[in-house]
Parts: sequence; C-alpha cells; structure tokens
Amino acid sequence: MKIAVCIKRVPDTEARVKIAANGAAIDESGVKFILNPYDEFAVEEALRLKEKMGGGEVVVVTVGGDVSQETIRTALAMGADRGVLLKVDAMPLDPVPVARALADELRGGGFDLILCGKQAVDDSSHAVGLMVAELLELPAVGAVAKLEIADGKGVAEREIEGGVEVVEFTLPAVVTADKGLNEPRYPALKGIMAAKKKPLDTKPITLAAPGLEFAALAYPPERQAGRIVGEGAEAVPALIEALRTEAKVL
Amino acid sequence: MTMAPVDPAARQPPLPRAQLILTDPPEDERIDLDVVFVGAGPAGLAGAIELARLAQNDPDLKGIEIGVLEKAAALGEHSLSGAVVNPRALRELFPDVDPAELPLRTPVMKEAVYFMTQRGAWRLPTPPTMRNHGNHVASLCEIVRWMGERAEAMGINLFAGYPAASLLTAGQRVVGVRTTPSGLGRDGKPGAGFSPSTDIAANVTVLAEGTRGPLAQAFAAWQGITSPNPQVFALGVKELWETKRPLDRVIHTLGWPLPRDAFGGSWVYPMEPNLISLGLVVGLDYHDASLDVHELLQRLKLHPLLRPVLEGGELIEWGAKTIPEGGYYALPERRVGDGAVVVGDAVGFVDVPSLKGVHYAMQSGMYAARAIFAALKAGDTSAARLGEYDRMVNASYVVRDMRRTRNMRLAFKDGFWKGAVRAGLMTATGGRIPGRRIAMAPDATAARRSGTPPTFAPDGQLTISKLDAVFKSGNATRDDIPSHLLPAADVDRATAEFYAHLCPAGVYEWTADGLQVNAPNCVDCKATDVVGPRWTPREGGSGPAYKRM
Repeated sequence: MKIAVCIKRVPDTEARVKIAANGAAIDESGVKFILNPYDEFAVEEALRLKEKMGGGEVVVVTVGGDVSQETIRTALAMGADRGVLLKVDAMPLDPVPVARALADELRGGGFDLILCGKQAVDDSSHAVGLMVAELLELPAVGAVAKLEIADGKGVAEREIEGGVEVVEFTLPAVVTADKGLNEPRYPALKGIMAAKKKPLDTKPITLAAPGLEFAALAYPPERQAGRIVGEGAEAVPALIEALRTEAKVL
Repeated sequence: MTMAPVDPAARQPPLPRAQLILTDPPEDERIDLDVVFVGAGPAGLAGAIELARLAQNDPDLKGIEIGVLEKAAALGEHSLSGAVVNPRALRELFPDVDPAELPLRTPVMKEAVYFMTQRGAWRLPTPPTMRNHGNHVASLCEIVRWMGERAEAMGINLFAGYPAASLLTAGQRVVGVRTTPSGLGRDGKPGAGFSPSTDIAANVTVLAEGTRGPLAQAFAAWQGITSPNPQVFALGVKELWETKRPLDRVIHTLGWPLPRDAFGGSWVYPMEPNLISLGLVVGLDYHDASLDVHELLQRLKLHPLLRPVLEGGELIEWGAKTIPEGGYYALPERRVGDGAVVVGDAVGFVDVPSLKGVHYAMQSGMYAARAIFAALKAGDTSAARLGEYDRMVNASYVVRDMRRTRNMRLAFKDGFWKGAVRAGLMTATGGRIPGRRIAMAPDATAARRSGTPPTFAPDGQLTISKLDAVFKSGNATRDDIPSHLLPAADVDRATAEFYAHLCPAGVYEWTADGLQVNAPNCVDCKATDVVGPRWTPREGGSGPAYKRM
C-alpha cells in the first residue's frame, strides 16, 4: 500500500505569537516551529496502516522553505520512508495554490491513500486536504477520528454533533485526520539516526498567483478585568442588567 | 524570632552512584556511535561540530557517527545564561561565518556598576575584570539553536528529548550511556506511552551536562578524581522583559538586596533596546537559611534604579540555573578517563570575576574534540591518550584566565567588605596577593541559621510568585511523572523550609505530613542537589522550555 501524507511546518501551539513590524506576518524570532499536530496524527495513521499491512511506502510531502526540511525529517524519524519538499520562497495565505502544488506532485504517483491533517493550526483554513481531493477527483472524508482500511475500501468515523458518522469509501481516497485518531509516537533514537539517510527530494516550484492576501493581522481584544456585582440572590438583577447592557450576551 | 542553626549537610543523601554508574554491558538492541556527547549546550555542540569537521577531512575517520543527547524536548530549551558573551570561541569554531552572522545580539557599548542600598545606587568604577568591550549581549538559547542547525547540517545526530540516565562501564572504562525511560507512572511502573531506555555504546563518551551534572559527579567519585577545593555554586534567577522604556547599557549591581554575608549581585542587559534580560545570582554558601533568591529578585525590581525601566513592561520568560563558582582551585585534577571526557560547566570552567563561562565551555569542547580525534586516529581512547585534552586546556587561556583570578570568589567567603578589599589587591597584583589558595568548604556545610523571612506579596505585574514563575519558564511537565528528586528520609521542618526558600520553582513544601516534593515544577537548576535532595535524570522533555534565555 502506498500512502502519501501532506504535512506543514507551523509555530508551536505554545508559542507566544507577535505580529511583525510589517503588520502582515508573525515575528519568528524566538518561536519554535513544529510539525502541525493534526499532520502528526496523519503521519502516525499512515505508519500504523503500513505496519498492519506488513509493507508499502509512506511518502511525506510539504510546501515550504528550506526550513521545512526539518519538519520532513521529523516525519522521517517517526518512520516515513521518504520526503518531498516543494520549495517556495514564501507560503501564501490562500490554500488554493498550495493544494494545486500538492495535487500536481501527487497526481500519477500511484497512491492508494492520501492523508492530511484536517487543518493547520496556524491559519486554520481547513481547506487544503479537501481541495487536493477535488483537484485529483478522489473521494474525500474530512476530520476522521477512526479509520479502517481493507480490500481496497475504507471505513471512517467522524465525530459529529451528538453522534458518530460512519462513512464508507473506495480507494484511492483522501482522508483528513482529527484529534483522537491515534496517539502519535515520539521518534526513537534509531528513527532519528535513520532519518538522516532517508531520501529527501527538494523540488523548487512556482505557486499559482494567490487569490487571497493578508490585509492585516491583529491581536484579539485584551480581556478586561472581572467585576463582582454583588453576592447572593440580591445580586441577580444587577448581574442580568450587566449581562444585557455591558456584555450584551442576553 | 528563632535563630536555630540549620545543617543541610547532615540531611543530604549521598550521590546515588549505583544508579548513575552501571556495570551492565550495553544491551543487544543498542545504538552504536563512535562518540556520544551528553548535553547539547555550548560545550557539547562545539565539541561535536569541531570533531565532525576534523573527521570530514580525514580519510580514516570520514563518516564516523557522532551523537549528542539532550534532555530538553528541543535544543536550547534548558539553556540559560545572563549573558554577555566573549565571541572568541565562536569565531574560532566558525571561521567561515561572517562575525556579523554569529548568533549574538548587540555589542556592549556602555556599562555601569552600582553599589545598591535599599533606596540608593552609587555608581562604582567598573572593575577591570568586568569590562566588556568587544563582548556581546546574547541569548544562550539562540546560540544553542543556531549551533544545533549547523551540527545537523554536518550530519551530527541530535537526540533532543533523550537524557542520559547512567554511564555504562566495563572495568575502568566508560563504554556508553543508557537513556532514561519515558512514560512511567508516579509509582515508577510503565504507564500509557511507555518507552524503555536505550543503550548507546560509544568509543568515547563526552560529559557536557552543564552545571552540577549528575554523571560528571558520579564519574569523578567513581574514579577518585579530586580537586584542591570542593566545587561551590551560586544560584541565578533570570527574567526576560519587554519594556516600554529602552535601556542603552549593561548594568551590574552589588549590595542590596543581598545580606552583607552573602556573595552575589545582579545584572540588567539590553538584548534589544526594549528587550531586557535581568537576574540575580547568590552564592549558595549564604548564612541566612530563609534567603530566597527568587524573592530577592522580585524586591530588586522595585528598586528606584530598575522600577522605571520595567514599569509598564511585560515579563516574557523566567528561569533559573546554578553556576559553578569555585574557579581554578575547584577544577578536577583530571577531566578524562578511559573512554570518557568531561567538558564545560560540568568541569567548572567559569571565571566569576569576569562573569564568563560560555566561551570557555565552547573552547573546552573544541579541545576535547581535537584530543578525541587524535585518539580515534591512533585507535587508542585510553585516559592516557585522551589526557591530551587536559594538557591543551591547561595550557590555554581558559585555565590561564581562571588562574589569574583564582582566589577572587574565594575571598568573599567572609562577607562583602573583606572580600572587596582582598579582590582589589588581587586585581592590582595580577592574582599574586594573596597568592596561596584560600581553602573553601562545600556549600552544604556553610553555617546557617534559620530566621523569620520577611513577608512579600507579589503584585502579579512587576513581581511574580514562584508558581507564576514556573509557568513563565514554559514548564509543562506532566503531573504524574515519578519524582526525580531524592531527599533524605528524615528531613526536619527547619531543613525543609530552607529547601522551600532556596528552590526558585516552589518544588518543596513543609506540610502536616512532612516534606512535600512537587517534582513536576522542577526547572533543573540543580540548586538543591548542591545542598540537599539529589537531582537525577528524568523523562526526556520534562522541565522548562526556555526560548530566549
């Protein structure tokens, strides 16, 4: 079974994000970058499928700068077989050119399954994986929390409001990973050593012109200090008044 | 007010040597490396990079496997220093890099030293040892990350998140290390996500653990390696602030808020005009058992010299680390064994009067690399052959600088004023008066009396509690990790309270049930390892996650 996993380098979810001087990007100094956590679920699922099937190949693909090699190495250290870096000067906000670049790379690659994270935690567009499916004219299941593959078919479970949706599909297909799909492994020492010797193909590409651009980035409004309106039952009218006129939630 | 004596030495458990030095052969499922460095700090990375470069250009040693183990989840996350760095060793290590591209911040242009009282600050002439012309303000995290990228590009194996738990030995030879397991429950039994330890076999093991390294301590004890004086330590607590007002000079202070019988001082360094590193360092031979370095730093920020700089700003990061301060006379007589070398802060290559250690650490790593390269080439990694490292470092500026100031820290053991007079004489005579060694005692044996600590309530803005501090260190250690701190069984209340004041991360508490150890809070500063409960290696990725410390 041949599986491709699309991954992305993103700022650590713990990072303290600062807007850069130009107002349209984040200041990267002191920020740690990691493999997008949802992509980590996708890589783990691909490795488990390969292990279960007793063979096959797991290829990780990303669009990014030279620094994204490190992100690919992380996936290779976990156990992926080879990596492809579609090298660009800058990452666009628009998911369309990224999805096109990935689809162009994956088309004709003979992949039985393409796994992606359901979203990247930096821009959270939730779009690239499903766009890749559309461009490749493949069935797609988004935000999957459980996946079974057998005999050229797949069964995926999606956690929806109030229940679980079970989806059957035929391969090849695109599946995007949600939290809960698995518990990703930490790269083992042997895996880290082996990753250095695995093939990592860097292909410079030019992205299609984006249709979206950053106009501005802004911080969320600062949280105001709380206020105690009173105590006990007597405080209820004042609380309702405050919720209605100040917080405007009633 | 009680003034009962407190004697931490009587309650300090011995070093757990049986746990740190194993005689098992490496397991079959091991990893074989030529050289393994324990610790990806400035010493370990400089050594690995120098060795990789020498090997690359050598037909016999091309392709040797070099590995660097690091206990932090990512490189630099356990690295902390002031820091004003002398770029000498970095320039030697990276001769092809434009000096402007080195991972250093602003060059030191202006500097000032103040003697502080509670309300006032008197500008002192800058002592010659403290002049910083040509040096740069820097973040050790940034230096380490930058060096790590270069190491990775050279094919060095960087194993972040993998602490070394024990030395593997055969007879008198060190044959490798065993990593810590991860995923143990509080009871020490494998839990969810358990992964066992891994053995790494290597021809040479380089201990670059940094300050108060447990393997380096165990190695010296096992080999019977001594030094004229015992190593002594200081605890430094550091904060990083984004300020509204710019600062244009590096500042050092002496005096308040330290008691007169404690040795130490503070620093305030601009990394950028509005990004300020500040901290307070106190020698662990202090006499008031209720002294609390974290709290003293909080008080210091309210002083009229600092408050206007910080007010309205934001505390970005917090951290703590010990510093080996014993100097020349605390250097182990040998820093090699069969298959083993010790470098950097794990040896104690720190010059206290100039407040420098980072470039000595790198330089020692580079000398170690050259000796290891020659030993591998000769097919002989015995102590005798690796001893070339000792000879190189002894003949170098590292030990020469430390010899010149050999008694300066030691002169302060009797308090600030006597120390200041003696230090002045030493400076004037190039260390010749008094020329003889001033004998020191281990920090744990310093005479201490318990007192009632002054109350202090942090405001949550300018001053913070220890719990807030731990959060600002980035520490996200899981709550159910087994304790890696080993206190004695019979810790009494006075000693427990001494630990509680000393530990900047709020690990120790005296409760109705006795001493309580909140191990996940630990930021690996090692302070209590010096005078109390032993620190042992724990699951990889535990502890702080410093970004620009």
